[in-house]
Amino acid sequence: MINSNKNYLITGCSSGIGKALTLSLLNSGSNVFGISRDNLKVQEIIEEYPDNFFFKSVDLGAPLDLGNAVEEFVAKYGKFNGMVYCAGKEETLPLSMYTPAKLAELFNINFNSLFEIFRLVSRKKSCEDMSSFVFLSSVMGELGQAGKTGYCATKAAILGLVKAAALEFSSRKIRVNAISPGIVDTPMAQQLFTLIDDSNKQAIIDMHPLGIGKTEDIVPLITFLLSDDSRWITGQNIKIDGGYSVK
Amino acid sequence: MTKEKFIADLQEQLELASALTADTNIKELEEWDSMGAMVLIAYVNENFGVGLNAQDIKEISTIKSLIEKIGVDKFD
Ligand SMILES: NC(=O)c1ccc[n+]([C@@H]2O[C@H](COP(=O)([O-])OP(=O)(O)OC[C@H]3O[C@@H](n4cnc5c(N)ncnc54)[C@H](OP(=O)(O)O)[C@@H]3O)[C@@H](O)[C@H]2O)c1
Repeated sequence: MINSNKNYLITGCSSGIGKALTLSLLNSGSNVFGISRDNLKVQEIIEEYPDNFFFKSVDLGAPLDLGNAVEEFVAKYGKFNGMVYCAGKEETLPLSMYTPAKLAELFNINFNSLFEIFRLVSRKKSCEDMSSFVFLSSVMGELGQAGKTGYCATKAAILGLVKAAALEFSSRKIRVNAISPGIVDTPMAQQLFTLIDDSNKQAIIDMHPLGIGKTEDIVPLITFLLSDDSRWITGQNIKIDGGYSVK
Repeated sequence: MTKEKFIADLQEQLELASALTADTNIKELEEWDSMGAMVLIAYVNENFGVGLNAQDIKEISTIKSLIEKIGVDKFD
């Protein structure tokens, strides 16, 4: 399961799961096209991997224009072998408080930009046959929670895309899968925990029979899905949640 | 924002049947529940840039105490 000398596009490379994945891929000798907003948060990665890390600061909450950047990467490193969309925004907002603009922004970050980058990267001229695409959904893509109408809808949209796209790309042996984590200890989860009281926090932790996850629990599943070892897996949503969803 | 507008807006957002006043204890409202708390947190965050956490919600009682929690200086 070695992903060396491969080319991957990773969104959300500056934090949490995306950052851990980016470092793991760079460390194993791959080239990474990283996308997130904040240059400062990725400064260390840029310094450590000046030749293999190609970074673009992009706001995925707004309409995208990434065609040239994708071409630039391919010209420099060769075609992509896959993409992992880790960027995401968690939002707790009652339905009554949504406006069309707020919903559009959330959908842009969690789904529309994923769709657009997938479209660009999956073109024949941009990616190899047998490439692998992995998209971060969430256990909330199949379950519901009060205050999470927007978030759940964006994560469920990913699951629909994955199934149809797996069929559309099967002739090129390109695979498309989603993974759905339970709570993973990242800045996103830490932010969520500041909003709730200790007893609720403990209740959420207790809902995960194996405890809450760490980024290093998630990265091996993604690197497996990127590798040829998973060549017969496509169109799936793989839950990785310490048992959360079977309770 | 004036305190009067804040109170009127909150009444609208929480979809309350009875009128809110500065002395209303928000926790004693029939409509108060965890969704109400979520609406309140979102409304205050959007209009005042103040993020109320679980502890803040625990501590507030009357609308007056909520205004103090947000910061009296933030009102006209
Ligand atoms: N952590 C969990 O418990 C959990 C559970 C289930 C699913 N997930 C999903 O897993 C994925 C990764 O989550 P995480 O916990 O690693 O999150 P995180 O630590 O908050 O990182 C989110 C990443 O997304 C980027 N991002 C956010 N908004 C962006 C925007 N508008 N434009 C460009 N980049 C943006 C951030 O970069 P900048 O801020 O630098 O732009 C950051 O790199 C997300 O899709 C999340 O929904 C997480």
